Amino acid sequence: MLSRTAENLFWSARYIERADSLARLLEVGYRISLIPNTEKGYTNEWESILETSGIKNEYLKKYKTISKEKIIFYLLFDPENSSSVKNCIKTARENIRMVRTAVTLEVWNAVNSSYHELDKNLKETKNILKELPEIIEWIKKQVNLIRGTILNTQLINDGYDFLILGTYFERADFTARIINVKYFILLPSINYVGSDIDNFQWSLMLRSISSFRAFKWAYGGQEITYTKIIDFLILNMTCPRSLIFSIEKINHHLGRLSKFYKQTSTSNKKIGLMYKKIKNLNANKITEIGLHEFLKSFIEEINYVYKKFEQKYFFGVET
Amino acid sequence: MYNEVYKNSKVRKFYNQIYDWAKSLPENVIVKKKNEAENLFKKIGITFSVYNNFDSTERLIPFDMFPRIISSIEWKKIKKGVIQRALAINAFLNDIYNSGEIIKAKLIPENLIYKNPAYEIKMIGFKVPKRIYSPIIGSDIVRINENIFKVLEDNCRTPSGVSYMIENREIMMRMFPELFEKLKIETVENYPSYLLDALKSLAPKKCNKEPKVVILTPGSLNSAYYEHSFLADLMGVELVQGTDLFVDESITYMKTTRGPEKVDIIYRRIDDKFLDPITFDSSSLIGIPGLFDSYKSGNVNICSAPGSGIADDKAIYSYIPEIIKFYLGEEPILDNVKTWRCCEEDAKKYVLNNLNKLVVKEVHGSGGYGLLIGSKSSKKEIEIFRKKILLNPANYIAQPILELSSVPIFDKKKLSPRHVDLRPFCLVGAKKTKLVDGGLTRVALNQGSLVVNSSQGGGVKDTWILNE
Repeated sequence: MLSRTAENLFWSARYIERADSLARLLEVGYRISLIPNTEKGYTNEWESILETSGIKNEYLKKYKTISKEKIIFYLLFDPENSSSVKNCIKTARENIRMVRTAVTLEVWNAVNSSYHELDKNLKETKNILKELPEIIEWIKKQVNLIRGTILNTQLINDGYDFLILGTYFERADFTARIINVKYFILLPSINYVGSDIDNFQWSLMLRSISSFRAFKWAYGGQEITYTKIIDFLILNMTCPRSLIFSIEKINHHLGRLSKFYKQTSTSNKKIGLMYKKIKNLNANKITEIGLHEFLKSFIEEINYVYKKFEQKYFFGVET
Repeated sequence: MYNEVYKNSKVRKFYNQIYDWAKSLPENVIVKKKNEAENLFKKIGITFSVYNNFDSTERLIPFDMFPRIISSIEWKKIKKGVIQRALAINAFLNDIYNSGEIIKAKLIPENLIYKNPAYEIKMIGFKVPKRIYSPIIGSDIVRINENIFKVLEDNCRTPSGVSYMIENREIMMRMFPELFEKLKIETVENYPSYLLDALKSLAPKKCNKEPKVVILTPGSLNSAYYEHSFLADLMGVELVQGTDLFVDESITYMKTTRGPEKVDIIYRRIDDKFLDPITFDSSSLIGIPGLFDSYKSGNVNICSAPGSGIADDKAIYSYIPEIIKFYLGEEPILDNVKTWRCCEEDAKKYVLNNLNKLVVKEVHGSGGYGLLIGSKSSKKEIEIFRKKILLNPANYIAQPILELSSVPIFDKKKLSPRHVDLRPFCLVGAKKTKLVDGGLTRVALNQGSLVVNSSQGGGVKDTWILNE
């Protein structure tokens, strides 16, 4: 297929995943705003939401102060925020539109109608805070619909691999970032362990990747501890938002591409090594390395894999 | 005004069933069906960006549900006439870029060809694959009365609208399947495969395997982008942009995830001047450096050929009857509309004295821009055009204001007549010239308006050729 087609498919899926992540972040924000808390505590939470989505500076340049209504608007609809949900869906649609012929009619319809309906939602929204739960629900539903049509209607060929790779490169990056922004709450400390603050913070983190209940199921309702959370978010193959899960998917689909084209790339080798490494880790070892250090090198490595992948398939020259 | 539905104030026999059907639709059903059609169009993404309209880059092209019907006898004549023109136009292009017999025979003034801005000097003497310059020709046909169809213009570069012809049919079949049981209507769905066949028959000299066809688009911001992707999809070929292609050692390749792949035939939907920044407009960012060299060395074919546009120049148009006689030795099956060329002194005088009764067109204008409809213009507008004509007479032609035929539309729940034209799409391959039995009917949605261009408030209708 055309290199540009592959690139458009990849980015459309990546932007859709990003819209989904933003919706989940906002869900956490909404939850906090319902829980009585000190003014400072809750402001901090909104700040870290901005930080996790990597747009704190841009936001502050425009609005100067942290305000939940403004943050919500900024994250959902602001046309000036290039990674607002609206712009993510718009960009995803633009990308698909450019390669209309590479996706099924069902996929195009799902993306196209999401875009048109979101525009309608924006116009009809009167009280953004009050209507937030419905908007979030709607976004998640649309993302599931789009992904469902991809799974059910696309040919399972190279185009499919590029779509899936877009999803998991984004998810690996997002999960790593969300843990990194919050890594300090996962540090072992005698003062923290078992305190209410811990439990609250940890549950928020789980919720932000939609894994609160999944966690409970996975660990049989045991007490939440930082090692279990590290295990769950980084090393648990049953958790679809864990780092290892994304790495396994990327490894698999890069492998499929390599077989399909009968060509190999540095990205194949590198992701293979990453997967091997993460498989042999456990939560204690990560704590020994230092969670922050681990995440830092994880983000660097996955970026390197992406760069090599991009060179190979999108630019046609591996340097 | 000639209304196609009636004959001697009675509904014509082949419109009977449709007319009764349309009359019997309750108001609420009409409204509901209109919404349904709009939603269907929106879903498949038929959007049309209009120049000069920066706020909303996408708008739906209005679709009217009342079909336009053409009998098989009427169609046979149109079809023959269109094929005749398409063959003559290609023979003409081949001639003027080679020996120029028609000029030697003094049938067309030399200046009109060799000094025409649409004449491409770089094409002189080049042997175009199979001598086909313009494989896709969309002629705009108007109906004057029950028996007379005339050609208003021919589009030889990259005529658009064929996607609407196909989609309009899809929508009608989905919404009113019962009508297709009552009437036998010719299908239009073969168009993409006919087009692919025609293009494949035009492989360049140095292609000795199954030719690789691509469609070249300026990009997703282009007003006809939907059509480009639609055709690529139905033909099963890649839709490429300039940046997807490159030329190495005179061979044209596209960049793919497997590495470079050779391209043999480019159905281009971009203008000549943007094709290759080395040969043509050097500021073009959407072109492919070296493409023209690859073309001239027989490694790739560009359809339509650069320089084909001269054949749809409005001044050349007026010579089409002579062109047909000269190359084919036949009488034209479809007439032209009477045309005054302002470059001729007598004609200019007549035009200037009768501006309020004429349509004046710029020779190189298109899309309904840059024209004057005398009867609908203010004195001031007429005076502006008078000055323009005096300043540069060769740049203008004039035609009588045609009473285009009309067909009803559903106007706010009831039927009301509107002017229409017809654009069939003729495909010229190496061995066969053919067209699907159908075309695009454009309709001027504003009451009394004669401008059917979609950029000027026009809409579309499904066109039914009856199989009798």
